[in-house]
Amino acid sequence: MPGDGPPLLELRSVCKYFNDEFSLHDICLDLRRGEVHMLLGQNGSGKTALMNSVCGVFRRDSGEMLLEGRDIDFASVNEARGSGVVMQYQNVQLFDNLSVAENVYFARVRTGRPFAPGLDSYGLLEDCARLFGRLGIPIAPDSLVSSLGYSERLVVSAAQACAAQASVFVFDEPTAGMAEPEREIVFNIVREIRSRGAGIFYITHKLDELRKIGDRATVLHAGRVAASVPDGSADRDELIRMMTGGTNPERYPRLRVDYGPQILSVERLRSGGVLEDVSFSLRKGEVLGITGLMGSGRTRLANCLFGQIRPAGGCVKVEGRPVDFRHPSEALRRGVALIPEDRDKNATFHNQDVLQNMSIAALDRFMGAYGLDMRYMEELTDEYIVSLGIQPGHAGDIMRGYSGGNQQKVVVARWFMSLCRIFIMDEPTRGIDAAARIDIYSAMNDLVTKGASIILISSDVEEILGMCDRVLVLAHGRIVCDLPRSEATSAKIIDYASG
Amino acid sequence: MFAAERINILKSYLRERGKLDVHSMSQLLSVSEVTIRRDLEKLEAEGFLTRHHGGALLRTEEDPPEAPLPSVAPAEAQNEADREEIARVASLMIRDGDVVMIVNGRIARILARRLSVHSGVTVLTNDIQVALVVAAQAGNKAVLLGGSPDPDSGALFGSLAQTNVQAFFVNKLFIEVDGIGEQLQLSVASQEKAALIKEALECAEEKIVLCESSRFSKQAFFRLGPLGLAHKVVTNTSVPETYKSRIFAMDIQLFTSVNAFEGGD
Repeated sequence: MPGDGPPLLELRSVCKYFNDEFSLHDICLDLRRGEVHMLLGQNGSGKTALMNSVCGVFRRDSGEMLLEGRDIDFASVNEARGSGVVMQYQNVQLFDNLSVAENVYFARVRTGRPFAPGLDSYGLLEDCARLFGRLGIPIAPDSLVSSLGYSERLVVSAAQACAAQASVFVFDEPTAGMAEPEREIVFNIVREIRSRGAGIFYITHKLDELRKIGDRATVLHAGRVAASVPDGSADRDELIRMMTGGTNPERYPRLRVDYGPQILSVERLRSGGVLEDVSFSLRKGEVLGITGLMGSGRTRLANCLFGQIRPAGGCVKVEGRPVDFRHPSEALRRGVALIPEDRDKNATFHNQDVLQNMSIAALDRFMGAYGLDMRYMEELTDEYIVSLGIQPGHAGDIMRGYSGGNQQKVVVARWFMSLCRIFIMDEPTRGIDAAARIDIYSAMNDLVTKGASIILISSDVEEILGMCDRVLVLAHGRIVCDLPRSEATSAKIIDYASG
Repeated sequence: MFAAERINILKSYLRERGKLDVHSMSQLLSVSEVTIRRDLEKLEAEGFLTRHHGGALLRTEEDPPEAPLPSVAPAEAQNEADREEIARVASLMIRDGDVVMIVNGRIARILARRLSVHSGVTVLTNDIQVALVVAAQAGNKAVLLGGSPDPDSGALFGSLAQTNVQAFFVNKLFIEVDGIGEQLQLSVASQEKAALIKEALECAEEKIVLCESSRFSKQAFFRLGPLGLAHKVVTNTSVPETYKSRIFAMDIQLFTSVNAFEGGD
């Protein structure tokens, strides 16, 4: 039961400015000893940003933060950890080449002594076996992390948090993409930490988790506290309503066009135990939205369609003919392009100029009898720079100096230039400014009005509703609903997505 | 000039001379060099020619000679291109069967021409040329408001026009403005136009503002009202970024008329 007395951690009017589109406003929140405080809200509502400012990733601009009555202002994650505030991040950070036990108790082995194989001088294996036994974790402590699957890594990462000596724990979607048995283990870990009298902030999109392990919940919306509820007093519909307050898909510029025939069909696609029996189709001139929680298989689906991953089963047809892409270049040849989720890692050549970044997939077009026609390449690049409003916009500019929005426009131009017909866009506007978003939406209109088709994968429900003709929701690797624009609402989408 | 027309000219030229160079063709046809290169790329794909740096060589001479050369259009300024893009996007907002009002202006006239692909559209306008263009389109109908003709703009204004507008209800109103100021105030160049638009706003469901990017940060003489009266704004990508984010934040649909994709049908 939540303890009485003064709160363990208290936030008073905490503000933090990020950019013109997003800031944390006047956040008041507290955490008691022995409680699990759930943080709910849509993507971009500020849950992770808020916890980052608690755990020393960012410093707040104003407001107070009190830990056991003492004012705190952590300059770094290490300082926060030293004061007993730890966070388990969404992206699991484990050492692949070490054993499970070494990862779980890593804090204990930071002496200069090299690890000797087969020698357990710290009692790690024993302690780890005892811990795993108590929590019901069926993983051998001496197995290498590199041999573990995705869910098992998440479990190890949660166990690592459990092994830390701290008073405030933050879990950021620890069960995203996890199956039911592993989820039970994570709940055990959380209960174990709570029983020690520590306080836990638990970020989640899965509404049933509030009932299962939550003591209290706070709903964030657009960087503000939208509502605060003790467990049980709010039903699912009410929570969804609080999470979606103020979404306005009407402000998205979208031109509706009449669809043509079916251009892509996916039948019973399966992949890597993540995607199960995925079937849908896409028509000419259509913008098809696909949304779902992290780990629902969105990005894997995009990679399967683009030939990055070969599906384990099922059939994909482009313009009625079955295809089996073994490499993205084969997908491109059939007019299928992917604008990937992680632009930095997967789409931009940071040290190359705009000209090369833009023309790299369309070199065939510039091939004349005597080699590459550089003049044509430069002129066409200039034309794209103007038509997409790329700033500052010189063909010789090096990409790494560009803002996220302008880099993304260059990536969009690359696939435009290669004359593809089916555009898969995975989170095309994540982390970019409003001005660039507007131009990317206009570019999407440009595509569909000229007969191309788009699959828009996004976790931003407002964007999905604003730009798409039809919405598919993925959950646990399956399509759980297929709604035309006229029937889709943010409440329905969140309801389906959170299982 | 249309692409098909240009390609015909290039073909005839090549048939006559056997080779061409990009620079002189762009001068001759008053289009950019990149446009010529793109045409050559298409013709190469058809097997008609071989590209080399700065030009192309004829590959086959089997095709029979085609129609004589059509006349060559004059050069078009960037602003004219901007207006074309805006009119293209605006025309895509119109559905068959709509009743729309198009207030006079240069974009309005291009928009009127583009309506030829639609049918069953009724256009209410004060622009004489818009009315004539639409009336000539087989499937569409034009209604010209009465009033006093203004020789500069070729449009009708005055109390008669304002009274007549009140008799109609349109589902889309297209307003071409002459300025959008720093404070996002809409303005037009004449008092009569401002007065007519104010009447028209009362009898329209969806209000769509058309404005060239060069008209941002400018104030024309007569104030029309705040941008907030519009549901949609259509302009160009070259609008300064601050305007883009401010308008999006006001919950108004902003279309920047990107026309980049070449792979269309």
